[in-house]
Amino acid sequence: MRDTQAAPLVQVEGLKMYFPVHTGILRRHTGNVKAVDDVSFAIHQGETLGLVGESGCGKSTVGRALLRLYEPTAGRVVIDGEDIATLSHEALRRKRPTMQMVFQDPQASLNPRMSLSAIIAEPLTEHTKLTAAQRQNRVYELMDQVGLNRRFANRFPHEFSGGQRQRIGIARALALNPKLIVCDEPIAALDVSIQAQVVNLLEDLQDTLGLTYLFISHDLSMVRHIADRVAVMYLGRIVELSPRDDLYARPLHPYAEALLSAVNEPDPDRAKTRKRILLKGDLPSPANPPVGCNFCTRCPKVFARCLTEKPALVQVEPGRQVACHLFETIHPATGSTGGSEAKEHLQHGVTQ
Amino acid sequence: MKLNSALLGAACAFAIAPAAFAERGTDGEVKLTFPQAVSIMNPYLSSGTKDIYAASMVIEPLAGFDDSGNLIPKLVSEIPTVENGGISEDLTSITWKLIPGLLWSDGSPVTSADVVFTGQYCMDPAGGCAQLSKFEGVASIEAVDETSIKVTFTGPKPNPYTAFVGATAPILQKAQFEACIGAAAPTCTDQNSMPVGTGAFKVTGFTVNDTVSMEANSNYRDPAKPAFATAVIKGGGDAEGSARAVMETGEFDYAWNTQIPPDSQAAMAAAGKGQFVVAFGTLVERLEMNMTNPSADLPEGERSTAMHPHPFLTDINVRTALSMAIDRDILREVGYGAGGKPTCNIVPAPAAYASDNTACLTQDIEGAKALLEASGWTDTDGDGIRDKDGAKLSILYQSTVNPIRQDFQALIKDWWSEIGVETELKAIDPGVFFGGDAGSPDTFQKFYADVEMYANNFDGTDPEAYLTQYKCDKAPSPENQWQGENMNRFCDPAYDAMVTELSSTRDPAKRAEMAKALNDMVTKDTRIVIPLVHRGTLSAHSNALGGVMINAWDTEMWNVADWFRVK
Amino acid sequence: MLTFTLRRLLLAIPTLLFISLIIFLLVDLAPGSPMSEIPLTVPPEVRQKMIAALGADQPVFVRYILWLRQFFWVEPAYLLDGWFGTDLAGDQQRILSWQSRSPVFTVIGQRIPQTLTVIGTAYLVGILIAVPIGIYSAYRQYSLFDQLGTFVAMIGFSVPTFFTGTLFIIIFAVWLGWFPTKYDTTLEVTDWASFIRQMQQMAMPVMVLGLANAAAISRYMRSSMLENMGQDYVRTARAKGMTERTVVLKHVLRNSMIPVVTVIALGIPSIFGGAIITENLFGVNGIGAALIGAIHASDLPMVQTLAFIFAVLIVGFNLIADILYGFLDPRIRYD
Repeated sequence: MRDTQAAPLVQVEGLKMYFPVHTGILRRHTGNVKAVDDVSFAIHQGETLGLVGESGCGKSTVGRALLRLYEPTAGRVVIDGEDIATLSHEALRRKRPTMQMVFQDPQASLNPRMSLSAIIAEPLTEHTKLTAAQRQNRVYELMDQVGLNRRFANRFPHEFSGGQRQRIGIARALALNPKLIVCDEPIAALDVSIQAQVVNLLEDLQDTLGLTYLFISHDLSMVRHIADRVAVMYLGRIVELSPRDDLYARPLHPYAEALLSAVNEPDPDRAKTRKRILLKGDLPSPANPPVGCNFCTRCPKVFARCLTEKPALVQVEPGRQVACHLFETIHPATGSTGGSEAKEHLQHGVTQ
Repeated sequence: MKLNSALLGAACAFAIAPAAFAERGTDGEVKLTFPQAVSIMNPYLSSGTKDIYAASMVIEPLAGFDDSGNLIPKLVSEIPTVENGGISEDLTSITWKLIPGLLWSDGSPVTSADVVFTGQYCMDPAGGCAQLSKFEGVASIEAVDETSIKVTFTGPKPNPYTAFVGATAPILQKAQFEACIGAAAPTCTDQNSMPVGTGAFKVTGFTVNDTVSMEANSNYRDPAKPAFATAVIKGGGDAEGSARAVMETGEFDYAWNTQIPPDSQAAMAAAGKGQFVVAFGTLVERLEMNMTNPSADLPEGERSTAMHPHPFLTDINVRTALSMAIDRDILREVGYGAGGKPTCNIVPAPAAYASDNTACLTQDIEGAKALLEASGWTDTDGDGIRDKDGAKLSILYQSTVNPIRQDFQALIKDWWSEIGVETELKAIDPGVFFGGDAGSPDTFQKFYADVEMYANNFDGTDPEAYLTQYKCDKAPSPENQWQGENMNRFCDPAYDAMVTELSSTRDPAKRAEMAKALNDMVTKDTRIVIPLVHRGTLSAHSNALGGVMINAWDTEMWNVADWFRVK
Repeated sequence: MLTFTLRRLLLAIPTLLFISLIIFLLVDLAPGSPMSEIPLTVPPEVRQKMIAALGADQPVFVRYILWLRQFFWVEPAYLLDGWFGTDLAGDQQRILSWQSRSPVFTVIGQRIPQTLTVIGTAYLVGILIAVPIGIYSAYRQYSLFDQLGTFVAMIGFSVPTFFTGTLFIIIFAVWLGWFPTKYDTTLEVTDWASFIRQMQQMAMPVMVLGLANAAAISRYMRSSMLENMGQDYVRTARAKGMTERTVVLKHVLRNSMIPVVTVIALGIPSIFGGAIITENLFGVNGIGAALIGAIHASDLPMVQTLAFIFAVLIVGFNLIADILYGFLDPRIRYD
């Protein structure tokens, strides 16, 4: 199902998203909040890339910058052969149908004054030449796909439950047959019982429609369930990017290790023996990150070099990239990086 | 005032009227603005000057006053006098003779029946006539013939020129107002806003509290007048805005009552579009001294009554010292500019009645101190306030809320503190102060203070009724529900006797002498009243409007028929 | 919605009756008397007679009941008589102004047109200026335009109309001579020239009030836009690939208009109430000028009737605003 020779659907290189800080009476530009600082990765057609990290690490910003809902400070975002970051507004708008987003808060992301049918049909009016009847059919079709009763078409968002609203959000995202969907914490605002339904829906849709997902979440178990590869972010940078099973079995980066040790273990026996790594201290401010490794202030394995030099994200094992001075580069520069068993060919080595 | 000279004056006024060579209605529109809008065109139902002035362009009395206070005939051929037989020898009746052939603006003839009706209209007990005092002492009004009216008084009336004289007592048309007599008076809205008259103009449109539109009366008795074809009175806004509309933008020809601060007067006059004119009538801003004790310690009903004399204001030396400490010219300068004159009289005009009392005009702080010292008022406890026998010179000084009055209060407080008198100031809402509500402690009649300041005047040129106000029995008290005008509770049998004598004295020269004496009795002799400033009414007229002769004794529009456009 | 409206209307009846009583008592017990305007030269006996002729010497409750009867029975009867030529009212006493002795409702009827033209235009102009400014200020938050808008709004808010009015008079009437300072109520618009004159005399009061109204409404508009601009659904709309125009004017504006429409609706009674200071300053004979004139003259029937009409309007427009809310916001249902 995946053309191993094809270029990846999404290619992000050196993405930076800085938010300027203005202080003082004259509101001078005195610094930047480096929400995303030099992030590079790629997503292949039909793949699900999980993006995990603590709150405030810049996950959602990556998602929004990817679709250029923010204007990125620097970097290239190539989606389906076009650099999103430099497209003109009109070209970008025409490009939008290929890339959609499912938001965290299904309530807030739906215009309260529009009916379900209007919400789903709006992009159709804008980007297609369907007649009103055709649009209505397409709306019903999408509602069927996401498991919403057709009777609900004229209701308003506030009349739905949280899970139903997220289905509306997904149906809306699907309306224009996108290739890529950025799911920005799509289940965080939902009940646990509903979460599984929504994730299963997303998986089913991926299978039937061949979608590509960037799945942003802080819920590591859910990411393990859905993602093929996982990128771990810390303070605006990716610290480890590995195939799911490898990561969960043997995290390399000390932060990834600590993060995964916090995942709830369903097996009580194993849970007893599990050793949780507790990180000390607080997340440094993204406006003023450490000079060296971003993680050096809290890293249990910190040593002198970490304090002065930022480690680059380099391939340390086939298909696994880590940004840590503890690891040596095994395949420097270019070369096939391999991936998990299922997805062997990723791309050129991604370096800083 | 000698009637001969009055007639002469009237003749002069007519002779110099410059519009005589003009033709009626050739000068377009004359536009007037009043800071207070006109509510009603019937002076019998309103005592507002704005209403009376507006109405005076439309309805006229039998006789009026010119700009020097002389009587002039309006609807009659001559002023009745004892000499020409118009007034009976015993002064109990006066007979007016209408100009023959006089017409109402609707073309019907003016007859004696209209005059008789007007008298009945105002004297009807249910009508609430605002000008009832004009008809005081009238026993009967009868039509002798088509054009003669005889007014009979209940007794000898030395000044019979009250009923039907002046803008406050104009003649109404019987045919129009017949159904509006008594209790029905207020309900006749159309009649009250568009009365048929004999004046130079007739009403063509009336919006309550806003605009009166008029056009030249085609039946006016002088076929060459008025020079203007139409007239408009626009009301509302404030004095400043009215003055500006004449003096700076030139939108209006005449603005009545443009009392604005002296510096604004100068600035507006500098624009060169118009000029201010001042009518000095009899309005005097004064301090009234309370001769009774207003102390709050006294039980209600005894406070400020003759039962308890004032602890220190009963001492003439104190009152005199208070008067001496005041610099009246500074007050005038601060408050009124050209619109005021310092005065020591409560009857400041007309000239014949004004006393030559000017001693108070020079401030004398040292003299005041010496006077108090000499009369035993010394500062025994060293707190800067003079006292004597346990009574401290501590004064509660009240007036109404008004920026000029508050300036005056502050200045006077300063001067008084210099002579060792402590002053507490109080400013009361004018609606309450003048409202006369017997339940309120803050009315000027109750006078729950030591000193109060306001302005008062008299209507017309004769001060008799005004001077009567200081008689003993005019003192407000709980017995008369605090009604009366003798706020000071001044009581001097000699004064009362002279007032009684005045009311039966006929000779104008003698009347003037007595009026001056009475004025002096309450001012320079006793200092019961401390006059401050003789206030005029400041009006403005455009340089393009000719014929204006400011008049304090009657309506300012008394000669509107003679107004013309300067070309 | 209908039951809600009916229930609210029914509830309004006791509320308004209570308000009328309070107004009547407040106005009546307030210091001041119609006699305070009478010069001191009028003797006390004459004053007493004048008060009696006005009916002002009656006890307050007698006058209140009479006024209620006149307001709710006699005046509507006169109105119907005027419309249909019937004779319901007969010759019953209408509410008469103490100052002008003319029926209060005649005066109000004379004045409503001026108030509606001048104050209504000012309100409309205010809204037309404020909404685009509010939208653009929010869309380009902290831009030069926004800063300028904030500054102008601050001025409009904080500088009282009597000051801006006088300033405008000095600039536009005295210095430039463009506009008259006094509103000519006798002017009838019959041709182009008189229309121009009408526009000229309306210009200054409309500018003064428009500025004040625009200041308030543009701030509401801006903050409401800002609140919605950051919402996820706006991001959704952008992600859908909608044009900026659609995003701002359809998604953001429509949601932002809800509170602004309420503010606008609740401001409408103030149009009928007139603008006391501005009307007085420019000599517009509207309701506001009538009210201030009546207050000065202690013309109680006029003040009481006007105050009560304002109360009715405020209660009415509150209801209208609530109903509007129901239409504008699908989340709100009253049944």
